Order: sequence, then C-alpha cells, then structure tokens
Amino acid sequence: MEYDKILENLLGREDYLVVGRSVVRTDALDKALGRAKFTADYIPRGTAMVKVVRSTQPHALIKRVDVEAALMVHGVLAALTAADVPGHNQIGYALPDQPFLNGRKVHYIGDPLALVCGEDEYAAAEGVDAVEVEYEPLPAAFTIDAALETSATPIHEDGNVALTTRIRKGDIGKGFSEAKVELEETFETPYQEHMYLEPEAAYAFPEGAGKVTVIGTMQSPFLVREKVAHILGWNLNQVRIIQALTGGAFGGKDDMGPLVCAKAALAAVKLKRPMALVFDRDESAAYTPKRFPARIRYRSGADGSGRITAAKVDITVDCGAYANRAPFWLWRMTAHASGPYEIANASVDGRAVYTNKVFGGSFRGFGDVAIHFAAESQIDQLADELGMDSVELRLRNVLKTGSKTTCDQLLDHSVGIEKCLLGVAEASDWTSKRQPKRRGNNVRGVGVACAHHGISTSRAAPDWSAASLILNQDGAFTYRTGICELGQGSPVGHAKIVAEILGASLDSIRIEVPDTDSTLNARPTHGSRGIMLGGSAAADAALKLRRRMVEVAADLLGCDEAAVDLRDGRAFNRGDPSKWVGFKELAEELYVNGVSPAAYGFYAPPRRFFDPETGLGVSYPVYTFAASVAEVEVDVETGQVDIIKVWPAMDVGRAIDPLMIEGQIHGAISQGIGFVLMEHLLVDDGMVINPNFKDYIVPSALDTPKVAKLIIVEEPYRHSAFGAKGVGEPAIISIVPAIANAIHHATGVRFNTLPITAERLHAALRRLNR
Amino acid sequence: MRLLPSFSLHRPRTLREALELLRDLDEAKPFAGGTDLLLDLREGVCQAKHLVDLGRVEELRYIREADGKIRIGAITTYTQLLRSELIAANVPVLREAAACVGSVQTRNMGTIGGNLCNASPGADTAPPLLILDAELTIASLEGSRSIPLSGLFAGPKMNSLRPGELLTEIRFPIPPAGSGASFHKLGRRRGYTLSLINAAAFLEVGSDVCREARVAIGACAPTPIRMSTLEGMLRGKRLCRRLIEEAASACHGLVKPSTRAHARASVDYRRAMSSVLTRRALMDAWERARGNLR
Repeated sequence: MEYDKILENLLGREDYLVVGRSVVRTDALDKALGRAKFTADYIPRGTAMVKVVRSTQPHALIKRVDVEAALMVHGVLAALTAADVPGHNQIGYALPDQPFLNGRKVHYIGDPLALVCGEDEYAAAEGVDAVEVEYEPLPAAFTIDAALETSATPIHEDGNVALTTRIRKGDIGKGFSEAKVELEETFETPYQEHMYLEPEAAYAFPEGAGKVTVIGTMQSPFLVREKVAHILGWNLNQVRIIQALTGGAFGGKDDMGPLVCAKAALAAVKLKRPMALVFDRDESAAYTPKRFPARIRYRSGADGSGRITAAKVDITVDCGAYANRAPFWLWRMTAHASGPYEIANASVDGRAVYTNKVFGGSFRGFGDVAIHFAAESQIDQLADELGMDSVELRLRNVLKTGSKTTCDQLLDHSVGIEKCLLGVAEASDWTSKRQPKRRGNNVRGVGVACAHHGISTSRAAPDWSAASLILNQDGAFTYRTGICELGQGSPVGHAKIVAEILGASLDSIRIEVPDTDSTLNARPTHGSRGIMLGGSAAADAALKLRRRMVEVAADLLGCDEAAVDLRDGRAFNRGDPSKWVGFKELAEELYVNGVSPAAYGFYAPPRRFFDPETGLGVSYPVYTFAASVAEVEVDVETGQVDIIKVWPAMDVGRAIDPLMIEGQIHGAISQGIGFVLMEHLLVDDGMVINPNFKDYIVPSALDTPKVAKLIIVEEPYRHSAFGAKGVGEPAIISIVPAIANAIHHATGVRFNTLPITAERLHAALRRLNR
Repeated sequence: MRLLPSFSLHRPRTLREALELLRDLDEAKPFAGGTDLLLDLREGVCQAKHLVDLGRVEELRYIREADGKIRIGAITTYTQLLRSELIAANVPVLREAAACVGSVQTRNMGTIGGNLCNASPGADTAPPLLILDAELTIASLEGSRSIPLSGLFAGPKMNSLRPGELLTEIRFPIPPAGSGASFHKLGRRRGYTLSLINAAAFLEVGSDVCREARVAIGACAPTPIRMSTLEGMLRGKRLCRRLIEEAASACHGLVKPSTRAHARASVDYRRAMSSVLTRRALMDAWERARGNLR
C-alpha cells in the first residue's frame, strides 16, 4: 500500500489542513503549568514502598542472601528474593543472560538481589541495609581487553563474547588496491547516561485475584506487559499496563520500564496491596543502562577522484554485565558502518563483550552515534589526505536513489542526504569559512557531518503498529495508541494525521494515555518509529472511520460518496458546500444506523529480507538522513570549546509538524554537545562514582548554541502516512562528529576518543605546542 | 545518596535565640540557605540531631555602608547581593562572583555567610572577599570577635569557628579611586556549575605604578588562598603586560591543588589554569583601575 499516494488522492487537497503546519501542542499548556501527571503523581500518600537490595560486588557467587534481620525492622512488610518469583526469573530482552533477581551470581555493582517492601521509604531503606549477603568473589573484568583475555573468568556461561556480527560486501582487497590514500584509525566512545528529569518509577495495585495494574514510566507498554506476565507466570490479559506521561526516556525507559514495573507488580501481587517504587537519582544514574561504550577500528581508502573504494571496520561493543540490547545495537552499527555513503567494498566485523560494569542499553541514536563519529571523522581525514574540501568529498560519495547501503540494500526512493548536505553548506556559507579565524586566545573553526539512520528495528525483524479511534456521540474523538508520549510529541503527531484525514479540529481529538487493556499492541516507542509506524496505524484507523462517515454523510446529504468531503468538523457536498452536516449529527447517525463509530488501525511496513550470515539484505524499511555544520570557538589557553552556531538539515520524508521537529533538533544538539564535550561517567573498579548532577556534567541552557532554522528536506517514504519518516534519533547523530571535526578545523587536533573535555583539549594543544 | 535523615529543626528569630539554641542543644548545626547542607545530610557527610535555621534571623540580613566600609549580614543571599546597588556601584567583582554561583534557585536560597562557613576550597565568593581584605564578625554568647577572612578557612570544608559561635557580618573597605578588581571562573560547562578553579585580582594604580596588588585563588589548595608572593612581585612596580604575565605564571608553582583520585580536574590542569585565570583577572583589574580614576 502506497500510503503517501492514497492520502493525496483521497484527500485531494492542495494544502493540508494541519499536516506540515506547526501547531501548539494539545498537551503544552498542562505541561507548562505543571498539571500534567507523571507516574509519581499517581502514587497516593501512604502507599507502601519497594526498595532494591543491590550487589556491592562486581563479580561474585552468591553464597547466601539472608533477609531475617530485614524482616525484624519496624515497618518492613516483606523481603522478596529470586525464590519468590512465581513465573520466570529470566528477563534478558535479546539473550537469556539476565536474571530478574539474582540468586546464584552477581555480575556488576548494583545487580538486584532482593526487594524489600516497607510501610514507607524509610522502613524499606532500613530493611535494605539489614539484608545480609555473603559473596564468594570472582575475578572481575572491567575493560573489553581484560574480558577478552584467554585467562579471563567467564561472566556468563558461554564466555565473554555475547555475539558477533559480520558483513562482506564486494571485494575488499580490490577496493584497497584501487585506493590512492588509505587511513586506519581507532575511535572510542564512552558511556552516556540519559539523565532524564524523571527517574524510573512504577505504581502497581492488584485487582482481585489474578489481575494487576501497573502505572509506570516507560516506552513500550506491551513489552512491559509481556515481562510482568512472564515474571508472574500469568497470561497477558491478567496484566494491565498504563503508561503515565513520561518525563524523558531517550531509550533508557525502554529498557528500564519492564524491570521497574515488574518489581512493583511482583510486590503488589505477593503482598496483595498497592506498592510503589521510585528510583533515587543516583540509583538511576549508577545502576541503570547507559549508552553502550564502543571501540571502532576503521580502515578506509579513496582513489584520486575522491571515490571511497573500501572500508574495513572492526567494532567492539562493551556490553557491561548483560547483553541487554547489544544484538540490536551491534547490528545497527554493523549495518551503518559505511556512513551515508556508497562504498562498493566493505568488510565489517563486530563483537559485543561482557564486562563487570553497569550494562549498556538503548540510547537515542543507538549505535549510529558511535559509528558515525568514526565514519565522519574518517572521511574528514581522507579529505585532508586528498587535499579536497570535506563537503566536496562527501558529495562525491553520498547515497543517492539507486545506491546500495553497507548491507547491499537498494535505496529506490526517499534518499535526501545530498539535499541536506548541500543545504547546510549553503546556509552556513561553508566556502567562506575554510580558514580558521583567530582572535586573541580564541580560534574559530567549522565542521560538517552527515548521518543516516534506519527507521525501527534492524535485521528485517517483523514490525507493525496499531491504534484505536472512537467517534463519540457528540462528534468528538477519542484516540488511543500504545506509542508513548515521552516529551517528543509523537501521539500529537498521530492526532494531526487523524485530524487531516477526518477533517476534524485537533482540539476535538482527545489523546488518551496508553492502556494495554483498551488498545492493541502498537510495539515500542523506539527506533524513531513512533510517527512513521504509529502514525500510519493512526491513518489506517482514520481511513476506516472516514469511509463509514462518508457513507452515512452521503445518505444524509443525498449525494454520491465521491462528492463528500470532511472538513472543519463537518461533512459537506463538494459540489454544493452549503449542504453540510456537523460531526455531532453525523455521529448520532452512525450510532443509530448501526454503523460502527470506532476503528482499530493496524499497519505493517512491507516485509523485508535479511540474511544474518552474510549481513546482507533489506535491514530497515527506510532511512532518515541528516547533516549538520557546526561552528566552534576554542579557547586555546583553557581548552574550553564554545559552540557558536549549528546549521541542521534533515530529510524527514514529510514533516507532520515542523515545530516539533525543531524541538527534536534543539534537544538533540544539547544532548550531542554533552556527549562530545563533557559527559563523562567515571567507573572505578566497577563502581560509578559520579551518579549525580553535581559531577556528571550535562549541558545547561547557557551551553546551548544558536541554531539556524532547520532545513527540512522532504523525500516522502511511500509506505507511511503522508510519507513521514522518524526524526528523534537521526537528530543527534551528525552533531557529534560535526563538532569534533570543527574542533579539528580550529586547532588541528583530532580527537578519536570522547568526550573532548577542556582538560583533554588543553593537554593535546600543549603537546602540539600551540 | 540516602533518604534525608530525621532531625529536629529550630527556627530562631534573633541572634541571641540562635546562640542560646546552639549552647543548649546537643549536636546542633547551624545553617542558612541549606544548599550545601541538604546534600551533605543525604550523602551522610554530615550528621546532626538538631538543625538551627538562621534564615529567619532578619537582623543578619543587610547590605549597608558605614565608616567607609561595606557591611554585609551573614544571611544575605546571592540574589540580594546581585540586586544591591551599593554592591554594583562599589564592588562589581563581588557581584560577578555571586552571579555565577549555581542556578537562580540556589542563588535565592544560598547566603554569603553560608558560602564562607561551608569552607569549600572552590567557594565562589571567597576569592573576591579575600582580595577586598574582608573582615568577619564572629558572635557568641560570650561576646564577639573580629578575624580576617583568611582566618576562617581551616581546611577543605572546615571552618575555624568554635562551638557556639556564629559568623554574623562580613565587611571590607570601599575600594579607593584608581583601583579595579576582577573575578574569573572556570567550570566544566558555562553555567550552573562548581568551579574547577576561580581567581580574583585587585589592583590599585597611580601613574601606572602599582600601589597595591591582591590576588586570591580558589580550588587550588585545601582552602581559598591569597597569593602573597605574587602580590609582592607587583606591588610598587610599574605595571605592564609583561610584568603581569610574569607574576601570573608564578602561580603555577605556588598553588597546591588536590591530588585526590577523581578530583574534578588534574593537578597539572589546575596549575596551568591558575596562571591563565590569574593573568586574565589581573589584566581586567588593571584595565578597570585605569578607567576608575574618578
């Protein structure tokens, strides 16, 4: 089904009513006024609380977990260990390596061992302190090199390599023999902590026998339901999950939502009373998954004309204690290893390695931030070697319609990277900024970088989304989706799609919070899939309802269905607009005539094929493309970097709401600046020592640069509503290498390791004697 | 981080009441804004059965001029310093330091007396007050005494107050015509952040000769410190860029940054930056002194 055409043909509008226009979000006022309810706001005062007993050892066998003393603490209601899990204690998302509560072994400092339930937080905390754990310490590995040594103690049964990936495309030997210049560099990217304002939280209450409801902060209510049911050994319909508005997620809540909700649910079911769990900031920052660290060895070459002839890439991901999402992460890095360029000969090898540290996990951009940092630093250096302008070299290699990706996926449409790159080069006046400018101790430079990001899940995994839409008797609509509001506004985007198709005002569409008991599985809000897949499901529901509304309206207006249009909350005869019927009256007619006024929407992108043996195939349905130019000013005496201005561009397929896209861009620029310049998780023998806002430094408002108006490129995707592609993750990918490249342009110092802190840059400048 | 431990909160209205509470209560700890204390309590760095909140002792909240001196009550907040015309007109250097403490919320709660008594080596108001030659009034039920500000700092997060004593006033002479002062700070981002290092300089010039030079540096030693050796290199000399650079580069060898593992910056970086910030502060102070001949 070619959704973009269907919609254009069906609606036949020259200009869309709400799609493509910036609107005030329907949830904006509540959030601005503090009226929006987040998970902790639902927890009644006096609710019993759960606290987690955590491992103090990075790697050890558990000899004994003794909760007797904890149970003696006044106010402690129960202490639950692995033995109390009624269903399955194995909760690994991709590999079965992660116990829900550890009973046999601990794998990192912070591994959960038991849950203490108390009348209040103080009782629970005192109970946690009273739990006695006896360990038999094992040698711990804190680096990938230590974990890969032959003498290393296995962290999990099958050894310390969780998985490997591999792509062979073209003839790598031939590719390098054609190269005139060749470079090999090693890049290292660190952990990044999400530092969402709202820490993890869940509130669970049993409803009779064999049913539990959990309100929580999450990205995938249906995955939460699956895991809670799995822990309890129940059917899916015995668990009801409600996603409260979520105060920042960035991938972290995708991993943590199920783990936290299951803890509250287990306690509530065991104690037969409402139980809540709210993480402390340092608990959230020290023990929950971070952006996976990675080491990338990148060898590539180009011929005299500037064609990149070969790329040989070796990727090692540091999983930490559990694989968690490492298979998805590593495959994404592997599949994007060439960057947004067509390289005929590519050879990519990847491995994910266990260490005894906090585990890695989902984070905006997934592995694409790290792999683009490498690929985009590398192409800049190739340009230097060739004596070619770095925009020019990129233009000679960028993916175009008809190009093939690293996975040999043919891109037959929706490829806007060239336009993005040309756009930012022109807007930033790139050619006039080729010489770094020095004034006093400050020197300015510019850098460019491109990005591509396959939308949704790697490796052609089955994918779909769903939505439900009700036309109420008063003519207003109730919309429900399992796609979550995390601050990004995806559900508002869905409502705009519905409003466009039905000709309804945006205000007449009420977006309900996701509730697994009242809508069907929409799959997660991750992989930048919320608008592309979720929005297409919304369109499907709206199209179904529209057909029925048009059918009934045609009867009422006494005209052909083809003559009926819907607009401004009315159905009217296109030939004679004075003949119309309002949605209230129309709704009544549907109910009275037994025409269903509700519709479920369901959408799946075209099936794809991927061969994990060769790494070749159609890994993703479509890619979003982006480019950025960054101008920086370096204080060469202190090493401090000031980001002066960023010029962003993105091929979004179709902009459902330009302002919301700009919101994503601005947020991503800040988060990217944090990753490239300052965020630095300190882990000492497995212990995170700066799990707080005081010493884990994230950018402040004052660190925010000027951001030029976003250049929106629209190369619609044929199979999504209005042609929209995802934007949340692609927004962050190009900014990181653009800044690193700009620092190099300004100072001549090339950093292959992040973050580029003032102190590191100062030391590097001193070594260069500048 | 733990849950906030339990304590009894006492909120006296007068200085006398506060001093009596400190005498009568067991393990009592005074505080003003609480911006440092709350974190210390939750981190378990500080334990107290009784907390005495000085925030309502209004007699300790003032900024006024008397006898050629500016006098600041100990519970004056950063925000109040920032809004004071007296401070803006006479000691912009103190304003500059107050402006870069924490966030708006921190500045609304935090006080100048609390900042000094907390005795963080990187306290942002310490270097400017050190170069203004600030004196403190310390009160107790037995009477009050005066000490120079430098006498307050006993070590990292340790002050020299005896049990039952409270800091009540900070005062310093109004800088004369022909003088200028400046404050520079280096953090890990541009705002809302602790100082990796900070520095303040005061210069008084007459026909380009340096009549007086005072320099103070924070976060480069167990306490904020005056750089007397460096001051001696400038005092009485004809000022020029080269002399300032020479003096500033001497900082490098004079400071003793923390060698603690996981310090917020390395010893080398702090040493190097002490020279850079001192030079910048001196150059700015010199420029202001020359523009301030009245």
